[in-house]
Amino acid sequence: MVFIQSCSHSIIQLMIGNFSVLASLGYKLIKNIMQNVLSILFCLSLFYLSVTSRVKAYVTVLQFQGVLLTVLLVFPFIGHFSIYALILPATLFFVKVILIPKYIKKIILDLDIKRTIEPTIQQITFLLIIIFSMTIIFIISNVLSKSTDIETIPFASGFTAIAVGIFVIIYRKKLIVHVAGFLVLENGIFLFGTAVASELPMMIEIGVLLDVFVVVFLMGIAINKISSTLSGFDVTALGRLKD
Amino acid sequence: MELTTFVRGIISLLVVLGFAPLFAGLVNKLKAIFTGRLGAPVLQPYSDLKRLFRKETINANSSSFISVISPTINLVAVVIAAAMLPIGFERPLISFEGDIILFAYILGLARFFQILAAMDIGSSFEGMGASREAAFAVFAEPIFFFTLGSIAFISGLTSIYEIYHSIRLDNVTYIVFIIVCSISVFILAVTECSRMPVDDPKTHLELTMIHEVMILDNSGVDLFLYQYSSHIKLFIYAILETSFFYPFGIRSYTVAIVIFVVVITALSISLAIVETITSRFKMKSIPHYLLFATAIGILNLLIYTFTV
Amino acid sequence: MLEFSVLILFPLFCTGVCYLLKSIRTQYIISMFVSSFHLIFSLMIFIGWYEPNLPFFFSTDSLSKLFLLVISNVYFWVVLVSFSYLRRPALAKSEEGKRYYFLLLNFYLFANTAAILSNHFGMYWVAAEATTLSVAPLIYFYRNEEALEAMWKYLFLVSVGIAFAFIGILFLILASKGTILEGHQLFFSEFVKKAAVLNPVWLKASFIFIFVGLSTKIGIAPMHSGDVDATSNAPSPIAALMSGSLRITALLGVLRIFQIVSPTSTHEFAKTILVIGGLISLFVAFIYMFKVNNYKRLLAYSSVEHLGIIALGIGIGGIAFIGAMYHVIYNSLNKMVLFFTAGNIHRKFKTREVSGVTSVLNILPLTGWMFLLSFFAISAIPPFGIFFSELMIFQGMLFSDKPWILFITMFLLLFIFINMGKTIFQMLYSKNENEEILLEKEKFEIIHFATIVILILLIAIAVISPEILRDNILNISKDFGIKL
Repeated sequence: MVFIQSCSHSIIQLMIGNFSVLASLGYKLIKNIMQNVLSILFCLSLFYLSVTSRVKAYVTVLQFQGVLLTVLLVFPFIGHFSIYALILPATLFFVKVILIPKYIKKIILDLDIKRTIEPTIQQITFLLIIIFSMTIIFIISNVLSKSTDIETIPFASGFTAIAVGIFVIIYRKKLIVHVAGFLVLENGIFLFGTAVASELPMMIEIGVLLDVFVVVFLMGIAINKISSTLSGFDVTALGRLKD
Repeated sequence: MELTTFVRGIISLLVVLGFAPLFAGLVNKLKAIFTGRLGAPVLQPYSDLKRLFRKETINANSSSFISVISPTINLVAVVIAAAMLPIGFERPLISFEGDIILFAYILGLARFFQILAAMDIGSSFEGMGASREAAFAVFAEPIFFFTLGSIAFISGLTSIYEIYHSIRLDNVTYIVFIIVCSISVFILAVTECSRMPVDDPKTHLELTMIHEVMILDNSGVDLFLYQYSSHIKLFIYAILETSFFYPFGIRSYTVAIVIFVVVITALSISLAIVETITSRFKMKSIPHYLLFATAIGILNLLIYTFTV
Repeated sequence: MLEFSVLILFPLFCTGVCYLLKSIRTQYIISMFVSSFHLIFSLMIFIGWYEPNLPFFFSTDSLSKLFLLVISNVYFWVVLVSFSYLRRPALAKSEEGKRYYFLLLNFYLFANTAAILSNHFGMYWVAAEATTLSVAPLIYFYRNEEALEAMWKYLFLVSVGIAFAFIGILFLILASKGTILEGHQLFFSEFVKKAAVLNPVWLKASFIFIFVGLSTKIGIAPMHSGDVDATSNAPSPIAALMSGSLRITALLGVLRIFQIVSPTSTHEFAKTILVIGGLISLFVAFIYMFKVNNYKRLLAYSSVEHLGIIALGIGIGGIAFIGAMYHVIYNSLNKMVLFFTAGNIHRKFKTREVSGVTSVLNILPLTGWMFLLSFFAISAIPPFGIFFSELMIFQGMLFSDKPWILFITMFLLLFIFINMGKTIFQMLYSKNENEEILLEKEKFEIIHFATIVILILLIAIAVISPEILRDNILNISKDFGIKL
């Protein structure tokens, strides 16, 4: 009994110690650390994206990234809460976590798209390319962070996501995966935008989100039409227009 | 070295040797519960080991002295590795500058002799298992160096004991770091100890086996040595994982014991969950999985060389 | 508030109205009404009879006044001819496309005006992306395979390109970090005034990203392919709209960042990039002209060529910049005539292949002559406007520090002219055995009226050279810090 008491006492002390440390670090640093943690999780999701070979896994990753971005946006408002400031995270959550993944899932289901992503290069090469580009991006952004005040980790993670989005578009055949790649690219830009301490007003951010949603919506319609008129949903179906 | 330090080192080594089968038993029990079975008792590995120890050793006719010595070398190498782990706050039995390299390669030595012995028997199945083990070891090694190596790189220290002591849980950046590290160490443990997504220790279908197929022709004391060393190996990785969370700053033993128990339990639960919900990967995709873990390690290194 | 309602809210409102109305005729009348109001207002703002006072993210300066007039003018003519175009017996599948035609056009006007009048990079981005979204379904008007592919490629390429432009905008924020501009948000007017304090490294990166990203929309090589596919497969009025106004809208974004760059040390770098982009565009058009087989594609490449010339003019600076501004006006007028007449030819011959089109001057005399004249106009033959604007650009090149650019440009333009002329004369003059079957009297339609008026405008602007226009363009060049 004495043992348990002393245990719990020490643990509580440890926790209080940690929290007081956190509190003493100040609000800005906590935000910074949260941002770093979320960006690293974002990077991990990118790695997962590069090794998976299922179309549905892409949708899951998009959802996961949407949640991360939402948390990233909500976090600054915990200190000084206001309903007005929650509009943007709520919109983001609605668009990126619910609407778009649901829509993509519906397309996959309706068109009966096969579950593999049909890569044009080996998965392992793809992962190596991504690791390589990530390394370069981290080094470059570290160099840049010396001259400008930027947060290296979110900046570099965002840029890695942009690169991964482009690689997904280049090295995958299915059009629906291209759409997912485009969305990863957009997520990367969003993360990157938070890293540069975005000064964009809320109205414009919401406009950007709506634009992205409509782009995806139109792409979905186009994929629907392509699968019915050109009987196929990968890039090989698109070869009519040449010079 | 002071006598008390020496005694404490001995005690911690004995803890590893004594509790290793218990950990394996705990994982198996939890796995059984998650799949809806009653499962063997937690202490079952001890009974198994006892049974094997009593049996007679029979070696294949075609085998040479390699088969005779390798089980012993295997166990000894693993025990030496275990003696390098920081379990308490004191210096472990073997600790010197650069022992992180020794740690990695003494485990490599154990594996090397196991592979040799598997090929020594002359059965094609064992040979196949050996080749697979060797191939995946190539991918597993960078994971270790990118995770533990990255802390070594940051702190500038090269002894496992000192590396772990350089971790400060009150520095919040390290917390992030450790969360990421523990993911890759977990994947490393799964690979090195032939657990579920990489290898299935329970099946006996030769075509898909990696580790188990290598010891198919061993029996009696030899098998006991192999089994016991694999239990210890799993426990070593569990401790590598646990040590991340030690309160090195406070040096309070009560907290350390609580954290040890909690993390070990959490680890066994997560191992059991992973083994329950995933199926074994295709041989082809195992390198992807390992490279994924390496990528995490590289990310770790990148992040902390540039920010800490 | 009145100007804001007429220019931006009214088109948006009519988008909703067009959704509710079933009759295409009513939709047409409403759209006509909107477009004429829009044109009148733009003209009034341009001349200076009306001093606009726009809320929050919007404002006007000489550049946006000029561009607003250009896009408003293009839109007016496109809407005017659209109804007669829609009444033509076309493929049965495109019937459903007609329902949304005017709706999307109105939305396009709304988005385009918002983009032109925006004073904020974020607003500009959102609006420019919205123009892509409104045009993409219009490209798919014919509901055939080529159109579908063109729409997909355009949508995807431009969306990715615009995403890059957004990265460029974020870099611009980075460039302002630690300076007095930090916290001032991304208003053009603020940035232009205090551009000298911006961090040059990030400013360079920002310029490259915005230029490359938007060049998918402008159609500057090597990012032109999506744009060319879309322009050549869209119905003629939409193609005219894309060539005449959508590219101009995207060009505005590049001009804005160029304006910010002008007073800084990055200026020379930006000029070099623009010159390189322009030369590559000319070169791509030059290569294509040797193997033309599709006359709509020919016109699309001609757009690539002329936007390349504009980029060259902006990049050279000085009098060439003024020439480039004139070129923007003339090119958008000229492209309308070319695409309208090409649409007529397509209706008659039912093909976009050059080999399938013969003896246009006999079969469709009116259209044929218009096509010929507009070809002369686009090839910079006097007295058409492009002659004067190109002359100014060439003059700027000759007296710049890099006169060799002039020789390269002249060489490329000469071959473009020869090859384009060869194709077009073949279409107009080559004999056809069963000509009599196709021969019937061509009726005078609203499209012919539009082309004649536009051609007259093209000559008139060049010959009369209105004082207001000249002053406006001189004001623009003053804003860009160009010394003459």
